[in-house]
Amino acid sequence: MNALLTSAVAGLTAGGTYALLGVCAVFTYRLVAVVNFTGAAIGTAGTFVLIALFEAGFPIWPSVLAGIAAGTATGVAIGYIMTRWFGEASASTKAAVTVALLVGLIAVGLRLTGGQHPHNMPDLFPGSAFRLAGVEVTIASVLTIGLAVLFTILSNLFLNRTKVGLNLRALADRPMAAELLGVRVQLLSLLVWGMTGAFTTFALMIIAPQRSPNFMTLSLLVVPALAAALIGVFRSFWWTLAGGIALGIVEGLASSIDSVSQYRSAIPFLVVLAVLLWSQREARWDEAR
Amino acid sequence: MSRLVVSNLSIDRAELPVVTSVDLVAKSGAISVVLGANGAGKTTLLEGLSGIIPVAAGSIAIDGRELQKARPGARSREGLAHVEQGRTVFRQLTTEENLHVSLHPGADIAEAYALFPELVQRRTVKASLLSGGEQQMLVIARALLTRPKVLLIDEMSAGLAPVIVTRLMTAVRKLANDGLAVVLVEQFAALALSIGNRAYVMRRGRVVYDGDCAKLRQSQDELHRLYLGGAETSVPA
Ligand SMILES: Nc1ncnc2c1ncn2[C@@H]1O[C@H](COP(=O)(O)OP(=O)(O)O)[C@@H](O)[C@H]1O
Ligand SMILES: [Mg+2]
Repeated sequence: MNALLTSAVAGLTAGGTYALLGVCAVFTYRLVAVVNFTGAAIGTAGTFVLIALFEAGFPIWPSVLAGIAAGTATGVAIGYIMTRWFGEASASTKAAVTVALLVGLIAVGLRLTGGQHPHNMPDLFPGSAFRLAGVEVTIASVLTIGLAVLFTILSNLFLNRTKVGLNLRALADRPMAAELLGVRVQLLSLLVWGMTGAFTTFALMIIAPQRSPNFMTLSLLVVPALAAALIGVFRSFWWTLAGGIALGIVEGLASSIDSVSQYRSAIPFLVVLAVLLWSQREARWDEAR
Repeated sequence: MSRLVVSNLSIDRAELPVVTSVDLVAKSGAISVVLGANGAGKTTLLEGLSGIIPVAAGSIAIDGRELQKARPGARSREGLAHVEQGRTVFRQLTTEENLHVSLHPGADIAEAYALFPELVQRRTVKASLLSGGEQQMLVIARALLTRPKVLLIDEMSAGLAPVIVTRLMTAVRKLANDGLAVVLVEQFAALALSIGNRAYVMRRGRVVYDGDCAKLRQSQDELHRLYLGGAETSVPA
């Protein structure tokens, strides 16, 4: 029993990261209508700036800030490509473009960071926060989950209480009508890309020490993130949050059971498949009515 | 006093010419009515003016400032407002939030409610739940709050009850009287001609009539001929 709890809790850091990445994916989808496959890669780029500076002997916290700035800039750059050249494209075209950009980012990232070569990733938040039924809950897991909750609350407040948030909701509803009213559509879109870039970078910095810090592995964290977003049907922040955490816990549990542990990276895929099949079923049901 | 001058404007859609060599003027205090059958190119003309689609040739100027290369947002900030066909309210936003999106720093929400008092009691209602007439009022009011010099309105009467259409026409006339230059696109002519000053009739992307509203209103036969194609333009375009 305790062993199961230990492995479930061990999945919390990953769960928090999936949740935050998932919430950022929903945020991006709802506001600028892009299913963004580059989310994790953007954060990875920022994380590797941190690693590079740290390995070069720079102090840790300025390096963290520089890394977040780099992640933000990468997000804005991707956002610029998407709004400038694919603003009018269909949702599926935009998603395909971000897949292509992901492949490009991974290729460039692996080249610059030396492929599988192990890096010295600083553990920003070592140690445990508290004990839960005799099991250590790490600071990293509390932090990623806290960050995901914070992002969800802040983005709700921002969207519902500020003029910029109001313009963003208008933009999400009818981009052309918003632009015709003089709303600074491009600037607002870039703001969305920059904000999600900053948050994902910080989340990836926290989870990186637990994964092999390799550009490709980290960039592919987008798969469980999109699975979480799918649980929230790309609309609900809170369902995405819960879905991400649940995914992490299930992964943790799976890793403790020998017979399934080698397949645990397939879990997000199975979840995606299940959610899609479920939604298809409902669609068919709607048609039948 | 503001003036929109459109010269020799041509617009393509899917590589085919849809608007060809159109000249059009709209002045402060006046309504320029653009008529024409379904598919004549009226919406395309307005979309070219506001920048939703690029123009192939010609120029668009407000008070001498050329706009044909600017993005839609920039044209809006230069004083061009476009009320699109199909009542494009922000569905998820309330009436009042819709008005706040466009609010020019020098404008006041109260102006919108003064023009359409009907909207006051619908302030906190989601725009998707408004009636068609209320939605039309909202998009016109919303455009007004950008403090435009020129207001383009596309088929505001489509699908609405006659009493509401009359209400909207009166409001638009008032806006023109207050100094706006209005371009009013309509498929159904009678009411538009009764409040308009200058009339244009489009057929297959070309302007086939440019003259007084009053004159055209008196001659139903002439109007029919212009809509359907008469002797002088019977050659397929
Ligand atoms: N998106 C589009 N792509 C290609 N052709 C279009 C498009 N929209 C309209 N058209 C064509 O352009 C012509 C003019 O359409 P439109 O400007 O909507 O006319 P109106 O507003 O006068 O009814 C029509 O023949 C229509 O088929
Ligand atoms: Mg039309």
